[in-house]
Amino acid sequence: MLKSSYQQSVLRSNLFVVWNELVKNIKSLLAYPAILVFWAVFPIFWFIPFILQGQAFVGGLESASFAQITGSGEYVPFIVIGAVLNSYVNTLLYGMGENIRREAYQGTLDYVLAAPCNKAYVLIGKALSESLSSTIFAASQLTISVLLFGMNLTLGVMLPVFFIVILLMLGLYGMSLILAALSLMYKQSYDLSQTIGYVFYIFAPVRYPVESLPTWAQIFGKLIPLTYALIIVRSFMLLGTNFSAVYFEVLALLIIDIVLLLAGFYLFSWMEEKTKKSGTISHH
Amino acid sequence: MNKNNKEHRLREVKCPTGFNWSNLKAELKAVWESNIKDWKIDFAYPVSFIRQLISPLVFLLPFLIYGLALVGGRYSPNLKQLVGTDDVVAFIFTGYIMMGFIGTAVWAMGFSIRRERWFGTLEAIYVTPSSRLGQVLGMALHSTVHQILGTIIQFIVIYLTFGLALKIEGILPALGIFALMMLALYGFGIVISALGLILKEGWVVSDSLYSIMMILSPVAYPLAVLPTVAQQASYLFPTAPALIGMRSFLIENYQPEVVGNVFLHLLALGAAWILFGIVVFRVTDVYVRKRGMLKKF
Amino acid sequence: MVYDKESGVFSIQTINLTKRFAKKKHRGVFGFLRRNQSNNKHNDVTVALDKVNIKIHSGELFGLLGPNGSGKTTTIKCLSTILIPDEGTAIVNGFDISKETSMVRASLGMVVGGERTLYWKLTARDNLMYFASLYKMQRRHAKKRIEELLETMQLSDRADERLEDYSTGMRQKVAIARALLHDPPILLLDEPTLGLDPNFARQIRNQIKELSEKQGKTVLLTTHYMDEADQLCDRVAFINNGKIVAVDTPNRLKAMVKEKELVEVVVYRPPAGIEKHIRSLLPDAEVIKLIPGDEDEGNPSRIKIIGGTAEEHVGTIIDALRQKNVRIGSLNVGVPTLEDVFIKLTGAKLTEDGI
Repeated sequence: MLKSSYQQSVLRSNLFVVWNELVKNIKSLLAYPAILVFWAVFPIFWFIPFILQGQAFVGGLESASFAQITGSGEYVPFIVIGAVLNSYVNTLLYGMGENIRREAYQGTLDYVLAAPCNKAYVLIGKALSESLSSTIFAASQLTISVLLFGMNLTLGVMLPVFFIVILLMLGLYGMSLILAALSLMYKQSYDLSQTIGYVFYIFAPVRYPVESLPTWAQIFGKLIPLTYALIIVRSFMLLGTNFSAVYFEVLALLIIDIVLLLAGFYLFSWMEEKTKKSGTISHH
Repeated sequence: MNKNNKEHRLREVKCPTGFNWSNLKAELKAVWESNIKDWKIDFAYPVSFIRQLISPLVFLLPFLIYGLALVGGRYSPNLKQLVGTDDVVAFIFTGYIMMGFIGTAVWAMGFSIRRERWFGTLEAIYVTPSSRLGQVLGMALHSTVHQILGTIIQFIVIYLTFGLALKIEGILPALGIFALMMLALYGFGIVISALGLILKEGWVVSDSLYSIMMILSPVAYPLAVLPTVAQQASYLFPTAPALIGMRSFLIENYQPEVVGNVFLHLLALGAAWILFGIVVFRVTDVYVRKRGMLKKF
Repeated sequence: MVYDKESGVFSIQTINLTKRFAKKKHRGVFGFLRRNQSNNKHNDVTVALDKVNIKIHSGELFGLLGPNGSGKTTTIKCLSTILIPDEGTAIVNGFDISKETSMVRASLGMVVGGERTLYWKLTARDNLMYFASLYKMQRRHAKKRIEELLETMQLSDRADERLEDYSTGMRQKVAIARALLHDPPILLLDEPTLGLDPNFARQIRNQIKELSEKQGKTVLLTTHYMDEADQLCDRVAFINNGKIVAVDTPNRLKAMVKEKELVEVVVYRPPAGIEKHIRSLLPDAEVIKLIPGDEDEGNPSRIKIIGGTAEEHVGTIIDALRQKNVRIGSLNVGVPTLEDVFIKLTGAKLTEDGI
C-alpha cells in the first residue's frame, strides 16, 4: 500500500521509465521493416526441412514411433509447435543481451546506467518490448503454419496456451537478466546467448520428444523452462488434455521461473556495481 | 591519360599491377594475410571461437535425433525405397557436413566486407592497391578451414556415438566433388558479399538465402520429396549435385537421383557463379563508391 | 625544405572536381503513403564539391581549411579513389584517379582522424604487417620497414600489445605508421589531430612537418583548426559549401584583413539581435559576426567587426554594447587570424556547419 504521494510519484516515474524504454525499442524495431518481415515469416523456413525429412523417412504424415512416445503420431504439428515456441526463445533470450550490447556499441549504455532511475525498470521495459515483438512474430508464424500445413487449432486451447507462454516468458526474463548481467562484465554476450540457445535446442524437445534423448540428457533437459512449456502446450494442442493432466509440469515451470527471476535480478545488481567500480561498463 | 603526366611523374612507385606473375603472387599473399588476420581476431574471442567450432555439431544432432525418433531406430525402409540405402545416420551425416560450407558462402563471405565496415577498417583497405576481392577470398579461406575443423569434430562425435559406415575408396572422388562445389560456392559468396555492402539489413538476405538453400539441398532428405519445381531449382546451386555425387561415392547401395556427369555439372556451375560473382562485385563496388556508401551501416 | 614550386610539376591536381549526394529524407515507416511535399529537385541534392580546382606542388604541405560539411573529407575521398566524382577528375602522382586507381592508391597514404580505422584486437605489429601485404610489399622488406616505423613513432616497446589497450594518440601514431609503410610520395591527412589531447596533437603536427620538410613528401592536410593550418602549411585553400574560396600562403591570406580593419570584443551573455544592433550603428562595416561561446566552460562569446574604419569606431561599438547591457570582457584591435580571413570571405565561421 503506497503510504505517501512521494511514493506514488516515484512509482509513476518508474512506470514512465518502463513505458519510454518500451516505446524506444519498438520504434527502433520499426525503423527496420525488413527485419520485421523476416522474423514474422522466415523462421518457418528453418523447420520445413524437418517436415520434408519426416516425409522421406516415414513416407507419410504420421510416425508410429512418435505416437508410441508422445501419444500423437502427427509430427508436423509437433515440429510447428516446437519451432514457434523456440523462436520465442530466440527473440526474447538473444534480444535482451543484444539490446544491451547495442546500447554499449552506440555509446548510450554509460548514460543509461548513470541515470538516477532504478535500472530494473529499464530492463523491464526492454523485456516488455522483446515480449511484445516475440508474441507478434510467434502469432504470425503460427498463423502461416496453420494455413500452410493445414493444422487444426481450436480457439479453446489458445487461452491456456497463452497462459503457459506467459509462464515461459517469465522464466526467459530471468535467463535474460542473467545474460544481461554476464554481458556487462564479459563482452562476448552474443556468444553466451548463442551457447545457451544451443543448450535449449539440443536438450529441450524442440524437434523431438525429450524421451528420445539418453537418460542423462533428459535430466538436463528437465532443468530448462522450455521443456515443460513444450510438453504442456503439445499436450493441450495435440492430445486435447487440460491442466489436471499436466499439473506437475506446470508446477515445475513455476518453480524454475521463480528461481531464474530471483537469480537474474540479484546477479544483475551485483554485476552492475562491480562493473561500475572496475570502469569496464561500456567496453565492447 | 595525358602523356605529359607520365613525363612529369615525380616519384616512381613500385607496385605490381596487371596480369603478371608478380602481381598474382602479391594478390595471393594479400589473401593469405587476410586469412591470418581473421584467425588472429578469432583467437581474440575464445568463447566465440569454441562456439563456432562446435556449432556444426549442435545443428547436426537435432536432425539425427529427430530422424531416429521418427523411424524408431537407425534404418528407414522408406528411405531405402527412395535412394537405395536405409541408413539414416550415414544419410544425414553426409548431408549435413555440407551445411557448414554453405554457411561459408552465405555468412562468412557474405559478411566479410560488412565486417570490415563494422571494424571501421573498410576505407583503409579500399585505399590500398590490392583487390577488394582479396578480403572476401581471405575470409573464404579462413571459413573453409574453420568448417573443416568443425567437420572433423562432427565426424569424431558421430562415429563414436553411432558408428559410421562409409566407403573409404570413395573419399578421394568425394573430395574432388567437394572442391568443385566449393568453387561454385565461392562465386555465390562473392555475390552475397557485394549485396552486403548495399543492403542495410544484409544478415536478413544471408539468413534467407541460407534457409532457401537448406531446403533446396538434399541435406536431410532425398530430392524426390520436393515438388518438381523445387527439384529443378535446386540444380542451379552446387549443393544438390555435390551432395548426390558425394553420397554415391561414400554410401553403400546409394542410388543417385541425378542422371549425368556430376563433375561437369559442378564445373559449369563453378565457372558461372564465379563469373557472375566477379561481375556483381565490380558493379557494386562502383555503385558504392559513387554514392559514398562505404562508411554507412 | 622548400618545395619545388618552380618546376611547374604538380603532385596533385584536381580538374573541375564535382560531387553531389542525394538527400535522403526519413519519412517514417508509413512515409510512402504520404505525398511528397517538395517537388524541387534542387532541394533533393547536396553539392559536396563544386568544380574544385587545386594544384599542389611536389613536396608542398598544403592545407584545406573549412568548417564541417564544407567538402574537405569529400575531396580526400575522391583523391584516394574511395569516392567516384560525378564530374571532373584528378591527377595524383601523374595517375588519373578514374583510370589508374591501383597506381593512385600505391602513390598515397591516408590518415583519418578521430575514428576506428585499425583492428583493435590485433597488435600494432600485426596491424602493420597485414596492411603491408595489402600494399603489396615483400615480407622481408615489410618487417624491416615496420621496425623502423615503430621506432620512429616510439611504439617499439608496446608493439606486441593489442590496440584496444592503447590510448587514442598511440592509435593515431599507428595509423600514421600504416600510411607510411610503403613510403608513398603523397600523404592525405584528414583531420589527423581530431580528438587528440594537446600533447599528442603537438607530436603529430611535428611529425607532419618533418615528413614534408625532411622527407620531401607532398602532404594534403584537411583541418578546421586554423592554428594548425597557420602553423604547418606552405599554402592554404579555404573551402566552403564545396567551393574553393581562396588559395595562398597563410601570411598573404591574413594580409587580406588589414590590422586596422579588425576589432574583436569579448562579451558575456550577448542578447539576440546584437549583431543587427551594431550594424545599425556601423552600416559601413564589412562583417559583424557573433561567435557564441560556452561561458560555463570558461569560453565567452566574441564579436568580430571587420571593416575599413572599425578601429575608428571603437567608441561606437562600446556604446552599442552598453545600450544593450552587455558585459564586455576585453577589446582588441588588429592581429587577424585565418579565421578572420575566412569570415571575411565567406561570412561563415570555421567551426560552424557550412552556411
